Amino acid sequence: MPNLFNLVLQITVILAVCRLVGSVFRRFHQPRVVGEMFAGILLGPSLLGWVAPQFSAYLFPSSSLGFLNALSQVGVVMFMFLVGLGINPRELKHQSHAAVLTSHVSITAPFVLASLLALYLYPRLSDDSVSFSNFALFMGSAMSITAFPVLARILSERNLLSSPLGTIAIACAAVDDVTGWCILAYIVVLVRAAHQATSIWVTLGGILLFGVVMVYGVRFLLRGFEHTFHKHGGISENLMALMLLLVLVSALCTERLGIHLLFGSFLMGAIMPKEPKFVRYVLDRFETITITLLLPLFFAFTGLRTNVGLARGPEAWGYCALIILVATLGKLGGTMAAARLSGMPLRESVGLGALMNARGLMGFVILNIGLDVKIISPELFSMMVVMALVTTFMTSPLLELVCPANLLRREAGGVPAQDVSVPGMTLKSSSGSIA
Amino acid sequence: MSHTNRNFMIVYVGLVLLPLAALAGILRAGRSVKAPFSVDGAWNLTPDSAQLGSLPCGKALTADPEKTMVLSQSGKSFLVAFPNGPRMAANGTLEGTTVRASLTPSKEWAMETGCGAGRHLSLVATIEPSARPKSMQGKLSVEDCASCLPVEFHAVQQAAPAREQDH
Repeated sequence: MPNLFNLVLQITVILAVCRLVGSVFRRFHQPRVVGEMFAGILLGPSLLGWVAPQFSAYLFPSSSLGFLNALSQVGVVMFMFLVGLGINPRELKHQSHAAVLTSHVSITAPFVLASLLALYLYPRLSDDSVSFSNFALFMGSAMSITAFPVLARILSERNLLSSPLGTIAIACAAVDDVTGWCILAYIVVLVRAAHQATSIWVTLGGILLFGVVMVYGVRFLLRGFEHTFHKHGGISENLMALMLLLVLVSALCTERLGIHLLFGSFLMGAIMPKEPKFVRYVLDRFETITITLLLPLFFAFTGLRTNVGLARGPEAWGYCALIILVATLGKLGGTMAAARLSGMPLRESVGLGALMNARGLMGFVILNIGLDVKIISPELFSMMVVMALVTTFMTSPLLELVCPANLLRREAGGVPAQDVSVPGMTLKSSSGSIA
Repeated sequence: MSHTNRNFMIVYVGLVLLPLAALAGILRAGRSVKAPFSVDGAWNLTPDSAQLGSLPCGKALTADPEKTMVLSQSGKSFLVAFPNGPRMAANGTLEGTTVRASLTPSKEWAMETGCGAGRHLSLVATIEPSARPKSMQGKLSVEDCASCLPVEFHAVQQAAPAREQDH
């Protein structure tokens, strides 16, 4: 049985610290989510456990972390559903050459550079229980992911969603995330298959069958939600509960198939109807509790697993700096080069690279999976968390430096921001949003 | 094919397909890269309890009936923890199949057991790579103590929990 007093105390402290630090970060023109991610690190052994170990042990006894983890995982399952909901595959079909090239390069460049870095880091930060290919592919996935919600939030704050830069950035981030998750699913299957009695072909066959049933069967049934929404101007509580059940069942299926809960919830979101008003309606129902209550718990849990003290000595910090450098070079540099070659002006190319370089919460989610399946060690996990934080933190200032908002708005003809269907993107209520 | 499409194809091949080929090459080359032997996880120590009890700083280890030692590895270095035993700042290194660790008991525990402040336990062991489950054979000794006889121990790695249940 959980110690309820302790659990509620933990949630109270986490929410208070996350809101406080998030507000401080907002003052420095950073998205709130960056502050909340940082708050999670502050609550872990990197700061609280270091300066006040007894208080930390009282607040977060190791016996209580299982309950906190369970709650935070429910939050991430819901969040991934909302991220999937915000991705519209139809929009991706009509990308320009520039968007196709930029999105594909923004995946391959960090992947190749991360794999090269893996040649150097594998003998230094891994062990022979992890194969090199799994290690390298995981590093590639973690470095090629983009924080879709953070990116969309930054664009909306700058009224750039309808600008050429905003359109291409959203499309590229969506392609990157779908690709990154597919590759990560493959790695997780490989790693888990090595420890299961079931043949990997049975697992892969099951996943393929599940995907086909979801895309060509369940997707059409889900249109019923949209029809009801248009007919009655809303969805009853029973139907919302049914939607929630479907998300959870889908998550359970992918977990059972040997990938991860999160892939199922993401897929369910991705195959939901994409009519903007319907999507906005569903987001409004789910995002407040997910983003204001459950995600901070995930940040705190990630922070409790992150110990920057594990990176001891100049050598370890050198690795950390190298990881940040390679991640930035691959994502920012690769995106910028592709955008420039596609004919985008230099300034906007750098701006696009800066936006795509934000890994944020999506990076945290991937890194936690990597630590769970033991592809990365706690030390490398901590370094990668620092990388995800630094690259997300640098996005806003870099964007302001190369693409001042006023200038881009003038060039885009002052196109006003539109309502965008991405979790945490409610323009009218930023206080309750992810950013 | 129009001029624009041809240019796009050329750039696409150069920036996407060639790097993908390079990625395949890197993954192939990486197969020859060797990572350190894995020692990560929980180990059950079986020292001679009588000998261990007579070793300064070794007494607390006898209190844990299972004598579990957890190694948290990152490359060639690792942290050592005794979940049911004394609080220690302990880290070590791995060279081939040889494990070396220096265990520094916390001040409170050192005072309590008469271990003496500033004293370190030294752990040196050799892993038997072919054994399943993995095992190691080694010695625990007190550094800078000529009169303290080292204690030999044998340790067997506990079965890792199923990975799908880890999260």
